[in-house]
Amino acid sequence: MAEVATATEEGRWRDVDRLLSRNGNLVSALFDPSPTLREDIGEYVKVLVVGAGGLGCELLKDLALSGFKNIDVIDMDTIEVSNLNRQFLFRLQDVGKSKAEVAAKRVMERVSGVNIVPHFGRIEDKELDFYSNFQIIVLGLDSIEARSYINSVACGFLEYDADDNPLLETVKPMVDGGTEGFKGHARVILPGTTPCFECNIWLFPPQVKFPLCTLAETPRTPAHCIEYAHLIKWDEMHSGKAFDADNPDHMQWVYDEALKRAELFGIAGVTYSLTQGVVKNIIPAIASTNAIVSATCTLEALKIISGCSKTLSNYMTYNGQEGTHIKVTDFLREKDCLVCGPGTLVELESSVTLAEFIEQLEKHPDVLMSKASVTHRGNNLYMQAPPVLEEMTRSNLSLTLYDLLGKVAKDTVHVSGMVEKNGKRTSSLRKLRVSFKGVSTGPTDMDT
Amino acid sequence: MDGGEEELTAHETALYDRQIRVWGVDAQKRLSKAHVLVSGLNGATVEFCKNIVLAGVGSVTLMDDRLVSEEVLGANFLISLDEYANSNKSVAELCAESLRSFNPMVGVSFLSGELSQMDGQFFDKFDVVVVCSFSQKDKILINETCRKRQKRIAFYTIDCRDSCGEIFTDLQNYTYMQKKGDERIERQLNYPSLEEAVLIPWKDLPRKVTKLFFAMRVLEKFELLEGRKPGETSLADLPSISKLRKDLCEAQGLKESHLADSLLERLLAAGKMEHPAVCAILGGILGQEVIKAISGKGDPLKNFFYFDAADGKGIIEDITVPDAVTA
Repeated sequence: MAEVATATEEGRWRDVDRLLSRNGNLVSALFDPSPTLREDIGEYVKVLVVGAGGLGCELLKDLALSGFKNIDVIDMDTIEVSNLNRQFLFRLQDVGKSKAEVAAKRVMERVSGVNIVPHFGRIEDKELDFYSNFQIIVLGLDSIEARSYINSVACGFLEYDADDNPLLETVKPMVDGGTEGFKGHARVILPGTTPCFECNIWLFPPQVKFPLCTLAETPRTPAHCIEYAHLIKWDEMHSGKAFDADNPDHMQWVYDEALKRAELFGIAGVTYSLTQGVVKNIIPAIASTNAIVSATCTLEALKIISGCSKTLSNYMTYNGQEGTHIKVTDFLREKDCLVCGPGTLVELESSVTLAEFIEQLEKHPDVLMSKASVTHRGNNLYMQAPPVLEEMTRSNLSLTLYDLLGKVAKDTVHVSGMVEKNGKRTSSLRKLRVSFKGVSTGPTDMDT
Repeated sequence: MDGGEEELTAHETALYDRQIRVWGVDAQKRLSKAHVLVSGLNGATVEFCKNIVLAGVGSVTLMDDRLVSEEVLGANFLISLDEYANSNKSVAELCAESLRSFNPMVGVSFLSGELSQMDGQFFDKFDVVVVCSFSQKDKILINETCRKRQKRIAFYTIDCRDSCGEIFTDLQNYTYMQKKGDERIERQLNYPSLEEAVLIPWKDLPRKVTKLFFAMRVLEKFELLEGRKPGETSLADLPSISKLRKDLCEAQGLKESHLADSLLERLLAAGKMEHPAVCAILGGILGQEVIKAISGKGDPLKNFFYFDAADGKGIIEDITVPDAVTA
């Protein structure tokens, strides 16, 4: 009678140990298989999960079961009834509570030894230090803006050597997942090597934005009627009062008005459900797609951290409605990507002050950033806010940037401020390569 | 099964809002009337159960008389080992208790017994039957029993070994409306039984069929010949299974090199072990398939699906009797 395979670790973890304790044909050059690799991952690796919703719940479960023991999760939302069809860590009695906090608690109850620290808040409110703590960031987000932000933070850590090759120790890997109905994607982002989020932002179909004249004069679809009521008629009839999508009376009003308009133009199809969907930009979602995408992301995170197998190269799309299709595409980076590239080149005279530099950023064609705060290798050169920091750094404004950067010919700074994108002002974080004109890059003569 | 006259309750409409926007109210009603049987509760089936319970099927009945142990729990996130290590409740009973809380509107229950010993009438209660970690002999037996019933029972097998896995689907004669551009046309698919599929001579299969298909068949045959339970293997079996592979490939006209040692080693050594994330992917795919079959919406998978974490690829193989007439 043959012996059943004996586990090298306690039974709970033997499945994960299989992947980590034996060599193979597809392992990375740095892979060091050993029975203690899982323990090392558990002890030394910190992973950040962004989002505790449809993808986040599945991610937390999968990561915890795969041996990750130090997990942080951040989400600014509270639990709603419509979440319960897929965010399986939540129950009816949890409605109203913080998603991050409840999710963390539930997974820790189920998987012993895992520590999950929840953060109930916005990703933009965390310091850069917070993000630099993690060896890998896994995204379960539902908007382009949020992905763009985290991408710029992670890529902001990336530095290049003199030959424009990424410095490996500054690479902050990310795995990004997204779903809608029966479709989803998972992608691996190794800043400097694979395309970052901005490199391939053209992959997204154009966001639906109806021209005002269509809404006002020539509606053709139910959505036109709804947006007319939502964006135009509401203000006409309720001047001053803000529209609240979570207020059922407001939604009912928009629905009634949309229906009237639809009747006027002979358009069928306005329903209350469609009204909610259009006004709140509801993304249809089901549990199984989230399960597939999150698990794919988890596998990639495990492979990236341990090197136990080839990573996804680099973008997987899944479609489960028309048959079952899984495709992996190897997209290429944008060499001059403004976010993950070596940095937008800004050439300056060495006499330019910090104040002048900040002003110049507003007009620089590749930056166009207003009210910029400037940091250099983690040091605040000038912060626009909060008042305490502004006061502390104000004196730097009159110094030359050249002096502030330590009198080197070129260096990288990070700037954060407001930029305009598609008519909307959003906060943005950018990496700039500053190069001083007329300064030799050879051995420097230090001014004393 | 038809959609029925009753409307969804206000609570159902609110709870299922996001998915009703995906597949419509009619499909949701059909789901709520469907009865699913799951036998063999391992990582992949547990994930599958989560997905269909959340989706709001009518009922899920679980069968698995094993008692809780570290080995049994592996990738099962429904049961905490600390809480139930000394319980004398079966895995099915404990999973049922846990699943109920995911969606109180789904009737989750468990039954004791061996599915391979149940008579035909037993299966009439169900619209969908899913088995995991069964021997090939028992899978075929249960599949045949289901096929003999008057009502159409959708039959699926799902297995995860190491970090890869297989799903088999049998919807018998399945008619559905397929979207083609702006039109909807009627399509009919004829599925072979599991026995028919595995009896097809390998040399008659398309050349590019994934090696995972052959590996699973060799493993199943090995387990049958040696009197092992599914997954009861180890690296020590490599010499015997290599010989079996040689014999089978010769008899079936398949090049032995198509089924590498490394793949067999990997599966032998893994035994019953399943990687949690791979279970989630397989359970997700199966969840989608069952939802499509119950609702009658969307192209169903035909008839084998494979996933391998090593390359992240999902592969569909249509292993059908070559001269079958398809509409």
